Amino acid sequence: MKRAHIVVAGTVVGLAGLLSFNSTAVQLSLGSLSAVTAPARSTTTTTLAPTTTSVPRTSGSTPPTTTRVVPTTTTTAAPSVARSATGTATNYSYGILAVKVTVSGSTITNVSIASINDGGNPRSEYIDQQSIPQLEQQALSAQSANIQGVSGASFTTAGFEQSLQSALSKLGL
Amino acid sequence: MRSSATQQGTRKILHHDEHVMGTIVTFDLYDDEPPSTTLWNLLHEAIDVLHQADNVFSTYKAHSPISGLRRGELTLEQCPETVGEVLELCRVARTITGGWFDPWSIPGGVDPTGYVKGWAAQRSLDVLRRSGIRGALVNAAGDTASFGGPQHDVAFRIGIVDPADTQHLACVVETPGAVATSGVYERGGHLIDPHTGLPTSRAASATVTGTDLGLADALATALAVAGVPALPLVEELDEFEALIIDDDGNFSATAGFPFARTPSTTPG
Repeated sequence: MKRAHIVVAGTVVGLAGLLSFNSTAVQLSLGSLSAVTAPARSTTTTTLAPTTTSVPRTSGSTPPTTTRVVPTTTTTAAPSVARSATGTATNYSYGILAVKVTVSGSTITNVSIASINDGGNPRSEYIDQQSIPQLEQQALSAQSANIQGVSGASFTTAGFEQSLQSALSKLGL
Repeated sequence: MRSSATQQGTRKILHHDEHVMGTIVTFDLYDDEPPSTTLWNLLHEAIDVLHQADNVFSTYKAHSPISGLRRGELTLEQCPETVGEVLELCRVARTITGGWFDPWSIPGGVDPTGYVKGWAAQRSLDVLRRSGIRGALVNAAGDTASFGGPQHDVAFRIGIVDPADTQHLACVVETPGAVATSGVYERGGHLIDPHTGLPTSRAASATVTGTDLGLADALATALAVAGVPALPLVEELDEFEALIIDDDGNFSATAGFPFARTPSTTPG
C-alpha cells in the first residue's frame, strides 16, 4: 500500500493542515467546509468581501494596519450550481500535490487530491507514526485540514494553501 | 456537519493585524454575535498592551526604560513596575530551564526580549478574555496565545512550521492556550548559548505548548538551544509539553504533547 502524505490547505480562513492517507484515490470529505463561504483572507473579493475598517483609536499610538469585520454568511444567497477546479501542482513537505475543489455557489462542498507524488520520502512515514496516526481511519474530515494559526520560529506567511487557493481563484472565489 | 448550526453559531467575527514589537501581531476573534462596541474597546486596550510593552522593553529604542537599565542610567526602582515583574519571570524561567534560558548571559546587559513578546501577547489576550466572546487567538509572529476556540468546545488548531521547509507544516497541535516555536531557520543565529555566549542551536525547531505564552516562549528558546537532552525539563512541568524537530526531520516530544490526532467535531 502506498503511503503518502498531503498538505491540504487554504480553506476559508487561510487554513492549512497535514493529512495522511493510504491511497491516492481518497476523496476528502471536507464536511465542515460546507458551512463556510469565500476565504476570509481573500483580497479578490466578491459579494462576500470583508469590510475594511479603521479601528477608532482612543490614544495616539501607531495606527493599526488592517482590521476587517468578517462578513456574516447570511448576506448572500449564493447560486447552488456545482463547479470544480484543480489548483496548480504545488510543492509540499514531501512532494508535489494538486488539489481539486468543488463549490456550490460560494460554498466549498468537496476538496480532493487531484494528484500527488511524495517521491517515497521516508520522512512522511515517520511523521505519520509520530503525529497523525489515526487519520487514516478517519474519513479525513475537514477538521484535519482546519487550523486557525501557524506557529514558527518567526513570522511565516502561510504558503500551504497555494494549490487550493489557485483552484478557488479559478472559480472566482 | 451541521452547516446551519455552523452558519448561525460561532464564527470568526474580527481579524486585525498590528505592526508592533518589530513584527506583526494578529488577532482573530470568534463569537456568535458580530463585534460589539465593548469588544472594539477591549481590542483597542489589547493592542495598547502590546505598544506599552514595546515602549518599555524595546532594546532598539534608546529611550525605553529597559535601554536605560541596560546602560546603567536607570535603577530597577526607577523603571515601570512591569520591568521588575518581567525580570522576576525571567529568573523563574532561567531556574526552570537550568540556565538554558538566561537573559543575563547576553552581551550588552540583561535582555528580556525573549520573554517579553510572549508575555505581552498573553497579557493582551487576557484583556480580550473580559469580553466574554467564544474564542480569541493572538499570534505574535508565530507564537500564539488563545482562549476558547473557533467553535463551542473545539480547541484552536495550530500548524507547526516545518523547519526544513517553512512553506509547509510539520504537524498540527490542538492548543491548550499557548504555542511557542523557536529555532534559527527564519532569522538565523539569534539564539545564544548562555554557557558559551556564542550563537548556537541544537534543534532545528522547538515548540512548547502550555498555559502561558511567556514561559512557553522561554522554554522553546531553551530547548532550541539545548536540544533533546533538555526535554525532561519540560516533562517535569505539569501544564507544558514540548516537541523538538532536529535537522534530519526527526520528532522528539514529551509524552503529552497535544498532537492533533482526530477531527474534533466529526459527527458519527
